[in-house]
Amino acid sequence: MQDKKRVSQKNKYSIKNITKGSGFSAFSSALLAIALGLIFGFVIMLFANPGSAFKGFNYILTGGLSRFGNVLYFATPILMTGLAVGFAFRMGLFNIGASGQYTMGMFFALYVGFMWDLPTGIHWIVAILAGMLGGMIWGFIPGIFKALLNVNEVITSIMFNYIGMYFVDMWIRSNSTMYISTMSRTNYVPLSAQIPSLGVEGSNVNFGIIFAVILGIVLYIVLEKTTFGYELKATGFNKHAADYAGMKGKRNIVLTMIIAGGLAGLGGAFLILSPSGIAGSSMTYEPVNIIAANGFNGIAVALLGNSHPIGIIFSSFFISHIQRGGSLANLVGYKPEIIDVVIAVIIYFSAFAMIMNAALGRFIRKYITHKEVEVPVIEPDASEEIKKEAE
Amino acid sequence: MENYIIEMLNITKEFPGIKANDNITLNLKKGEVHALLGENGAGKSTLMSVLFGLYQPEKGEIRKNGEVVKVNNPNDANALGIGMVHQHFKLVEIFTVLENIILGVEPNKMGFLQKQEAREKVVELSERYGLKINPDAVIEDISVGMQQRVEILKMLYRDNEILIFDEPTAVLTPQEITELLKIMREFANEGKSILFITHKLNEIMEAADRCTVLRKGKYIGTVNVKESNKEELSKMMVGRDVNFKVDKEDAKPKDVVLSVKNMTVPSKHHKNNAVKNVSLDVRAGEIVCLAGIEGNGQSEFVYALTGLEKMIGGSITLSGKDITNASVRERSVAGLSHIPEDRHKHGLVLEYSLEQNMVLQRYWQPEFQKNGFIKFDAVREYSEKLIDQYDVRSGQGPITTVRSMSGGNQQKAIISREIDKDHDLLIAVQPTRGLDVGAIEYIHKQLVARRDAGKGVLLVSLELDEVMNVSDRILVMYEGEIVGELDPKKSTVQELGLYMSGAKRNTKKEIDNAG
Amino acid sequence: MKRVLLIVLAIMMVSMGLAGCAQSGDDGYEIALITDKGNIDDKSFNQGAWEGVIAFATENEISHTYIKPEEASDSGYLAAIDLAVEGGAKVIVTPGFLFEVPIYEAQTKYPEVKFILLDGSPHTADYSVFETKENVASIMYSEEQSGYLAGYAAVMDGMRNLGFMGGMAVPAVQAFGYGYLQGAEAAAVELGLGDGEVQVTYHYTGNFEENDTNKATARTMFQEGTEVIFACGGAVGKSVMSAASEADTKVIGVDVDQRYDSETVITSATKGLAASVVSVLDAIYNTDSWATYGGTTTYFNAANDGVGLPTEVIGDASADAFDRFESFDKAAYDAVFNKLASGNVSLLRSIEVADPSGAATAEELVSALNLVKVEVTTR
Repeated sequence: MQDKKRVSQKNKYSIKNITKGSGFSAFSSALLAIALGLIFGFVIMLFANPGSAFKGFNYILTGGLSRFGNVLYFATPILMTGLAVGFAFRMGLFNIGASGQYTMGMFFALYVGFMWDLPTGIHWIVAILAGMLGGMIWGFIPGIFKALLNVNEVITSIMFNYIGMYFVDMWIRSNSTMYISTMSRTNYVPLSAQIPSLGVEGSNVNFGIIFAVILGIVLYIVLEKTTFGYELKATGFNKHAADYAGMKGKRNIVLTMIIAGGLAGLGGAFLILSPSGIAGSSMTYEPVNIIAANGFNGIAVALLGNSHPIGIIFSSFFISHIQRGGSLANLVGYKPEIIDVVIAVIIYFSAFAMIMNAALGRFIRKYITHKEVEVPVIEPDASEEIKKEAE
Repeated sequence: MENYIIEMLNITKEFPGIKANDNITLNLKKGEVHALLGENGAGKSTLMSVLFGLYQPEKGEIRKNGEVVKVNNPNDANALGIGMVHQHFKLVEIFTVLENIILGVEPNKMGFLQKQEAREKVVELSERYGLKINPDAVIEDISVGMQQRVEILKMLYRDNEILIFDEPTAVLTPQEITELLKIMREFANEGKSILFITHKLNEIMEAADRCTVLRKGKYIGTVNVKESNKEELSKMMVGRDVNFKVDKEDAKPKDVVLSVKNMTVPSKHHKNNAVKNVSLDVRAGEIVCLAGIEGNGQSEFVYALTGLEKMIGGSITLSGKDITNASVRERSVAGLSHIPEDRHKHGLVLEYSLEQNMVLQRYWQPEFQKNGFIKFDAVREYSEKLIDQYDVRSGQGPITTVRSMSGGNQQKAIISREIDKDHDLLIAVQPTRGLDVGAIEYIHKQLVARRDAGKGVLLVSLELDEVMNVSDRILVMYEGEIVGELDPKKSTVQELGLYMSGAKRNTKKEIDNAG
Repeated sequence: MKRVLLIVLAIMMVSMGLAGCAQSGDDGYEIALITDKGNIDDKSFNQGAWEGVIAFATENEISHTYIKPEEASDSGYLAAIDLAVEGGAKVIVTPGFLFEVPIYEAQTKYPEVKFILLDGSPHTADYSVFETKENVASIMYSEEQSGYLAGYAAVMDGMRNLGFMGGMAVPAVQAFGYGYLQGAEAAAVELGLGDGEVQVTYHYTGNFEENDTNKATARTMFQEGTEVIFACGGAVGKSVMSAASEADTKVIGVDVDQRYDSETVITSATKGLAASVVSVLDAIYNTDSWATYGGTTTYFNAANDGVGLPTEVIGDASADAFDRFESFDKAAYDAVFNKLASGNVSLLRSIEVADPSGAATAEELVSALNLVKVEVTTR
């Protein structure tokens, strides 16, 4: 017994160290959340089509590896909307309006792309900046409502998702340069307005992803190293203390929403200005009165990334990876709709598990503290292994 | 062997980097009021949390009536008849008193709530113990004292026989404290056993039978209160002799630092103004105390003074500069330091590290930032200096998350920050609220030191001892007005009490003459 | 908790292992359909074509699947085709003109794969080159004929106040609408009605949605005296049907037989999507006559049963598909259908329209389509 107890102590100690370190609450719990999401997704695949579940699940897990260019390409817009949601969240604002900001950014980028005649090499840059401006405007409005009239940003930004989408669809439909009515979609974006491709075979991945990652890093620096980030986080943690310290709360709310809007707008611009693997073609937009899903996916990305810019970069890559792999599951007989469900379950289960992480961490700690003596009796092998690891 | 209802034997509880309880033994007799005395961070709350099932000890055991019991969670505790009134109340703000009392043990018939039955029991209990409440009042509308009664009734409703009070007097007015101590005695006489966590020696002397003292997580001893005295207890608690009197020279007031004229501030809770036409001056080198019972407009007055709330009439002049319409930041720059009433709400960002909190008022100054980028080295250096100078204790120094620090050290951090910043006037609102003797002594010394350094000090306090000992001049606030000015050397606590309760007031003219 | 974690790990490792083994096994799908921006159950192109694939593939026991593109763009569609080919597809069905550019690329990229492109013909993104290679069958429909039959039937049945609610003014919808007007005119002439005796309210909703606006528009039209509305725009039909059931009026469905969706649907101007897909697949697998379709554009019209009004009720051979008309019956339908099939009637499927959205004005419609008996108001 004495011996066993020693083992248990050691083993307990090692796990406790993991669970108590500050790293656990961020990275490890994200991994745990993802693992839970994957298991849940796998269960659904088992129910849907037991015979192919393993093959299909393997595609979901590893399929993205063979399509890395596309993983990056599809990660670009959700990375941007993820940053838009996560950044505002650090300030305590729930920017559910990323969708509208994204659509508005896309429209501004399209407008400059089609209607302005600029030299090659400058055109696409101006179009991207225009997209950012469009998103900023659409972030500014809920921000100013919140700051001056204390209108809940969730309500305003949901409304502005719709207002933005209907405006954009209306504007596009009434513009014969941008819109081809016979195809009910936009025209091909002029080549000079398309973002240069990174030249990956079979993928439209372009410089947009590089800008997006750089922006993520810049945001990290802003949040962690600047007085603005200091104020922003202080306000997010404790608004009263921020007021007490004389921080300009209203100005910061508006500023944060403008930045968040700009990020989402850039996401729209990066997507719509993407080059195409097909000569003369490009990304197109269909003004069919549907709210952009990439805006809402940004919420899941931000949740899974724990609203941390670097975390968001990785979570957008992960989500895109799972989606790309999911498409391949089609090859083993999964209907696209089932795959959509599985992907959605994995993403949202992971994201929500992430929310629970604090509770989860506590639970694990408590459970281990409780059962310390029983552990080695039940699973001698496991504890041996963990003990070895600890050493 | 004596008959104990609860025995906590050799309890050890560790947290990362600290032994909160180190081999502590506590025995509770049936029908006694047992005080648990110790400074902040001595391990009192941890020990009680172990008893209440919130923490699991690494070592040691708990016995009830001689039998070993396992308390895994508060439900187990409840089943054993253990109830607890927490320092921060656990009430649902938007529920009524009755709903809060029955929460979790709702009487029901086939899932339908039987409120009438519960109401009768609650009313009966409240009458028996003189705990006056209105069962239908909503928690957020009633005073802190009332809320505490609700917490007590919760325990009684559950028929608990072991009642734990975690620093129950910290939030109460003098009258309410007297009332509460009386009720605790009554419980004991009825055969209930009381564990009373506190660091206020007067209360122990008044109400407790025995007292166990903890210091830095260790067991120091248990004494019979009748055979002991304040000095002995405080020495056990702090580990050295404590000076209860504040040593200070007579004030040498100089120029007026702060001048408030006819300030009027609207109330957020009712239609009347919270502050009505208040004028006062604070001079350099004096401590002016704004005394009064909680909720008589002191908070609003300070908020308006510091710029957190808007005033609708009057003017404020600080060191000759009109700051009536200045922002919070501008006032701070103009020389106003503010130790806020609620350190968790206003004073600190609890998720931030200690060093981040140390520069909360100054992060934007060139000393700590360049082109918007924070100079981390400067922040570290500065906070280390403050930590050192003001003896702020924490687990990991500058990088400690403030939430994990003890209340006293949190307060010390705020005080060091506000004192070290350039200022002409220091506003300290209930700076010793909820702190132990050692910390109180320290804070009072700091306030006097500020005064002697030629700064004006405006102290807002509810504690009569503090008001009488620290201040040079007392202004009493009642229902938003200043109703009297007293010289602490020439007045008595009784006189002060009369002004505070509104039973006595000077005319405006008398105040002006006195001032 | 650790136990749970262990179980999790175990499951994961086992699943990985099994997956690793299973990967070598290769069972592809021979016929693949790529959906366009809509879903497989869109009651329109995707669904119609998919029904054809199922019908043929089930009967001939050929493996089949459908793939939803990751992105509704040219390269997104092409990527879906890549995926289908990777999955072993020999025949790929692409419903809709959105596939024109992707198929142009794919026909060169995968010369050994056969493509059935419905409602479009392959061309480059800038429309400079139109080329349908040998491995592509380009299938078009004469929507104007289908619309013609619907308009003709309505007027012959005694209705004088007709309505048209198109979705967006895309070519297919336009052709349906123009045919509808021409059919109404023909019936009016045949009945010897006076000038302007038939009135048509002509409207594009601008979307393909079921929503309150569309329902309100339909309701208003019914209140103004419209007896029947030709609902020609995907889910717009649902809004019109719900307005019609409240007003106790009639609806003409589109693309597929919609009589099963609502009692108010008297008939539907259908395209033989399923039939055309089956025809081409039959040519590939059974009659070895791919050459008939490959490398060219084939119009499916009345002559080859590619369009028409429904003549049968599914699941009830004895039922009358024209039972919801007052007087118009199968005989009258056959007469006019045969006239169309014989090629004696020439119809316009497109006209000059000034508005960039493609919505024609009443004047443009009347003058281009030579309407005399029919008076058109747009809204």
